Amino acid sequence: MRTRHNNRLGWLFASPYLLYGLIFFLIPLGWSFYLSITDWNLIAPVFHHVGFENFMKALKSPGVHAAFIVTFKFMIVFVPMVIASSLVVALAVHGLPRFKGLFLIGFFLPYLASGVVSSFIVKGFLSYNSPVNKFLRGTFSLDVNWLGTPFSALLVVSVIMAWKFTGYYALILTSGFESINKEIYEAADIDGVNGWQRFWKITLPLLYPALFTTLILSIGVTFGIFTEVYQLTGGGPNFATNTWQMEIYKQAFQNLSAGYASSVALIASVVTFISIFIIRKFLEMWGKRNGWT
Amino acid sequence: MAGPKKESLTIRYIMAFLLLFIMVFPYLYMVLNSFADWNQVDRKLIPDSFSLRSYEWLLSGGQAAEPRPWIRAFFNSLIVSTGSTALMMVTGIVVAYALAKLQFRGRNFLNNAVLFQMFFPAIILLVPTFLIIQRFGLYDSYWAMILPKALSLWAVFMYTNFFRAIPDTFIEAAKLDGASDWQIIFRIMLPMSKSITIVVFLFLFMERWTELLWDMLVVKSDNMLTLNVLLSQMFGPYGGYPGPMYAASVILTVPIIILFLFFAKKFKEGMQFTLK
Repeated sequence: MRTRHNNRLGWLFASPYLLYGLIFFLIPLGWSFYLSITDWNLIAPVFHHVGFENFMKALKSPGVHAAFIVTFKFMIVFVPMVIASSLVVALAVHGLPRFKGLFLIGFFLPYLASGVVSSFIVKGFLSYNSPVNKFLRGTFSLDVNWLGTPFSALLVVSVIMAWKFTGYYALILTSGFESINKEIYEAADIDGVNGWQRFWKITLPLLYPALFTTLILSIGVTFGIFTEVYQLTGGGPNFATNTWQMEIYKQAFQNLSAGYASSVALIASVVTFISIFIIRKFLEMWGKRNGWT
Repeated sequence: MAGPKKESLTIRYIMAFLLLFIMVFPYLYMVLNSFADWNQVDRKLIPDSFSLRSYEWLLSGGQAAEPRPWIRAFFNSLIVSTGSTALMMVTGIVVAYALAKLQFRGRNFLNNAVLFQMFFPAIILLVPTFLIIQRFGLYDSYWAMILPKALSLWAVFMYTNFFRAIPDTFIEAAKLDGASDWQIIFRIMLPMSKSITIVVFLFLFMERWTELLWDMLVVKSDNMLTLNVLLSQMFGPYGGYPGPMYAASVILTVPIIILFLFFAKKFKEGMQFTLK
């Protein structure tokens, strides 16, 4: 009798999740699979089952190819950038006796920025007559079309994202630093260990758990880039910043190909899931082989 | 990296403040440009002549473009973000209480389901979730923006972990005194998790406040747009009027920063727990 009452109570309290999970996870998930084998255009009442045609089309489409590659390009540019900048911030700030609160709050502020706002600021900052470009033209006679060149467009978006996440990741890394026992360094000093060795042999291994967290978080971010790209480049120039979200948005809500977009989304999810799984395993192996975990 | 030596401390402070300045500079640039004379916007690193013209232009609707409901958009953002965040907090707390503190068959399964869903690539749900909102007749309404964001798996996860760390003896003692589960949640669990509540609230609210894609998809009428979406839509048309756009950016960013600063102290404590 007692257990039955508890069962009912448990499911009652968990019911918001059940309801939410049903309406906003299970049903859309099933619907998405179903849509992906139709040619529905989001508006017309009629549609046909087309089997795997959408998938065949998607696998051959330049937009999907671009999305696949661009995500990894972002990973190569954005992840090292944000890890480096948050390491620099964490190294600069940790252990400072005063202004702790000011630094924590101050460096966290960029995380509050809307992607629309940061994109707008950067667009203005890099506009043709901006001080930066005038300086480059005047001093180095460099005329950079920041958002019109494939690599620099990718770079600009990466910098915006790195700006946003640096403070947050630095916070994670700082707490990693703080968990390192100071006596280890003192012992190393007595043994005459130099700075470089100290970083590689002591700091990095002990920091590895925090570093692992920031790596996984930042890699996750690369699979969800949308706002900055939507505002600044629309996925261009020539697909150079065409992320998965951008491609799916374009197909579903600009071309109104709901069926096709669903198959792209399905491919995107599988790619995301497998990539993150492999990268995670690889990072764990790397840590283990070096004896860091 | 060890205990900082005194002579290097000054250099480290200079470094730290320099970095801080670089990180905050975009905000400074935004604020200064919103008050700058129009012929100086995006023309000077630090503008030196100021006016309120951008704000006046923005709030009066401007001369060239049709009047835009900026103030209405601000309140739309407020309604959507507050409603959505409040729901996410309540559902998060209630579900986490069940997952952490109630004994019932299927609890482990639900715990795993939450974790699984949390790491599931949500992009696949975008189109069908849009269709569900449409079928429910909620397109172009506040509910369209609130309901799909009425529960946060992350909030459930955070609270579940936190509640687990609260000893059962507190609950048993309260039960002996005849407290109901609701009373336990509000009189024991919540007061004991103040700092994490601030962290969860701030993260959820700012994420909701700066959401673009979803709010842009499910809303069509001008008077339903959130401030972030309105700003996004004005990106092109107001491109020739960067001053007012900076003013709008300030109006979008300042409230969230004030909110953050208001809770900063508690946030600091909460983060310390979160990061451990």
